[in-house]
Amino acid sequence: MSAVVAPTSPEEAAQALAEATAARARVAVVGGGTRSRRGRPGPPADRELRTTGMDRVVAHEPADLTLTVEAGIAAAEVARIAASAGQAWPQAEIREGSTVGGVLATAASGRERLRAGAVRDSLLEVVIATGDGRLVTAGGRTVKGVSGYDIPRLAVGSLGTLGVIVQATLKLWPVPRARGWFGAEGTIEHRLATADRVLTGSVRPTSVLLLPGLLAVELTGPPEDVRAPEGFAPLPAAPADPAGHGLVEAGVSPARLGALARHLEEAGLRYEAWMGVGICRVAVTSADDVARVRSQALALGGHATVVDGPDDLRADPWGPEPPGVHLMKRLRDRFDPAGILNPGMLVWA
Amino acid sequence: MATTQAPATRDRFEALLDPGRVIDHPLERRLYSRDGSIAQGDCGLVVLPETTAEVVACMRLAHELRLPVVPRGSGTGLCGGAVPLDGAIVLSVARMSRILEIDPSVPCARVEPGVLNLDLSTAVAHLGLHYAPDPSSQQACSIGGNVATNAGGPHCLASGVTAQHILGMEIVLADGEVLRLGGTAPDPPGYDLRGFVVGGEGTLGVVTEITVRLSRNPPQVRTMLLDFTTVQAAGEAVGGIIAAGVIPAAMEMMDQRMVAAVEAFVHADLPVEAAAILLVEVDGTPAEVASHTAVVEEVGARTGAGRVRVARDEAERALFWKARKSAFGAVARIAPNYYLHDCVVPRTRLVEILARIYEIGAELDLVIMNVFHAGDGNLHPLIAFDRRDPEQVERVHAAGTLIIEACVAVGGVLSGEHGIGLEKRDFMPLTFNAVDLEAQACAREAFDPEGRMNPAKVLPIGSRCGEIVLDAGSLPPGTWL
Repeated sequence: MSAVVAPTSPEEAAQALAEATAARARVAVVGGGTRSRRGRPGPPADRELRTTGMDRVVAHEPADLTLTVEAGIAAAEVARIAASAGQAWPQAEIREGSTVGGVLATAASGRERLRAGAVRDSLLEVVIATGDGRLVTAGGRTVKGVSGYDIPRLAVGSLGTLGVIVQATLKLWPVPRARGWFGAEGTIEHRLATADRVLTGSVRPTSVLLLPGLLAVELTGPPEDVRAPEGFAPLPAAPADPAGHGLVEAGVSPARLGALARHLEEAGLRYEAWMGVGICRVAVTSADDVARVRSQALALGGHATVVDGPDDLRADPWGPEPPGVHLMKRLRDRFDPAGILNPGMLVWA
Repeated sequence: MATTQAPATRDRFEALLDPGRVIDHPLERRLYSRDGSIAQGDCGLVVLPETTAEVVACMRLAHELRLPVVPRGSGTGLCGGAVPLDGAIVLSVARMSRILEIDPSVPCARVEPGVLNLDLSTAVAHLGLHYAPDPSSQQACSIGGNVATNAGGPHCLASGVTAQHILGMEIVLADGEVLRLGGTAPDPPGYDLRGFVVGGEGTLGVVTEITVRLSRNPPQVRTMLLDFTTVQAAGEAVGGIIAAGVIPAAMEMMDQRMVAAVEAFVHADLPVEAAAILLVEVDGTPAEVASHTAVVEEVGARTGAGRVRVARDEAERALFWKARKSAFGAVARIAPNYYLHDCVVPRTRLVEILARIYEIGAELDLVIMNVFHAGDGNLHPLIAFDRRDPEQVERVHAAGTLIIEACVAVGGVLSGEHGIGLEKRDFMPLTFNAVDLEAQACAREAFDPEGRMNPAKVLPIGSRCGEIVLDAGSLPPGTWL
């Protein structure tokens, strides 16, 4: 059982990390714990750093479409604050219980990515507490800026291994006037052809999801635009997430996503393919399933990582080493010199 | 003073490239000692590789000889990022200008870094596609340079700056190692090195191939011109449109001096008597365009816009944009030189900062004109001057500093889209403390441990990562200007 450290400010977090580095104590960084079952299970941590005590709203500027918060604040709370001003954080996949820091550290982009972009594009300024306890601010709070090196982009998706995200400035977006989900059924070939038609037509969808037996499309905008396209019928709700023992997220070129979906459908796996984006989430029950999805993704020039699952599914969560591992190691050495942050999680860095 | 490389060095590079692609003549080298900024550098050999293999060979040789290297695209950059110092080698990618692949099924294009921004959009227009970032220099600037500076443009308001449109790249590191980062498959495992390289200003390596995301042309576009009797009213209109939940595809402001200069240049029947004009473009489905247009018209009426002139057809739309994008050319009629500034303030502070900029102009007796990306608070004060007059140049410098300080004081940042380069390097401590700057130096040093890539740019002299000092190139007196 590791000791729990629960800082209530960025300064306290930095202090706790400086002490952990001095003691060479391994630190598990935990936000809301909704995405903690990822990466390779490391050696047991000596300390657990919980970020949820850092939950202040630092600045909300609705007219500037920016929101600065401490990173332990619930992502759902951020969504509520934004909604109160008719705004949203559409790039993020917001789960009940998730923190802003957790969403960013895991690069959890949401289903609106086709139109809204990736969550890494929404982070304007970040403050991280490095492994050795420095508080580093990078980026800038304006909606646009190229001041210095893009450390915010390094922090997003780094799983806390370069530093703990303690504060973030997010770029918000106006909420569309209307939105709705629509579905079309049919064979996979029919659904793929329909997806292609929707993506290249005049509809401008927010999301096009291919699922077993269903093509689901979300439309947003003026009410006149949120109507069932030809061949579609309204859906009562957004499709449920593929759930299983574990979840694999594959990334392939959007041009090859249909080929991946055909394989998955043949293999009888439950999946959700984000058409036009190239992401495919697959419910898996065994290491064999992981290997099957990964071999298909690799054959199509992509990759597949285990993003959720018990330890036995995460012996090899990442697959082949990505290019530039030596640069990643050097970056890690410079931000977390004692290697105390989530050790082993990234395997090669 | 320009230093000539030892002949032996030239011979070594000539053995790698044809003699015609290694430039050592002092007059020709002089052409490479500047970029689109007002900085004057000191250029050593210029090498013009045509393939990645040739870039690798050049970088390996530079590594062996421990020579600093400055990558260069079209040389249109405005912050001195491509200006060589101390006789550094300039590696120009201008001859790497092929579009290698266009894949409408992604849609994306794979290009060499010397491909010009507008040429790419022109090449994919028949597919109903375009490359979204559109700097005003898009006829001349290269995609490689856009990647180096994380370039913006009017249409980045809704669609995002360069970083959001770069899917992958091939980069040659300082020691000649080649890496392929990112690609059409999203979110590869590990740190986002691809995203970090964008905006790296040539200090992380030489980008030799780029995969860019292409965007589908919107079904409908409407471009509107609004004129106002005060700059304040124009600023209120900008805020009002955003507050109504509309992010236009582009929202550009021009003040009276700028409008007058542009009108004399392009004859677009612009309202030269207006204190400020707004160019607002909305796009999307017909319903979106109708709904956004209604908001623009309503806000315009509420904030006192004289009238909303809608571009009647594609020709008039093109004319409006020509007026906007030839603003800098138009200034040549007013003064021989101009200094184009770039900074960002929170959108809500636009009016106040413009007032301060006019004050600064009056205090220093300088003509300052404004044409800028109002929608995202990205200002471009333009100071007309004559560089032959040293005293005037002094005042231009002073004005630049005052403008930066004023922007930072209201919560702004040093640059919106031009970059830091040489121009703003020494202002970095205004927005970052020593710990922040050290972290940036360390991230840079991870890519280039010897600090030979575009030295002395971005970070202030003396920036260090631990014990390593990253200022291999010194700034000769009078280099900046």
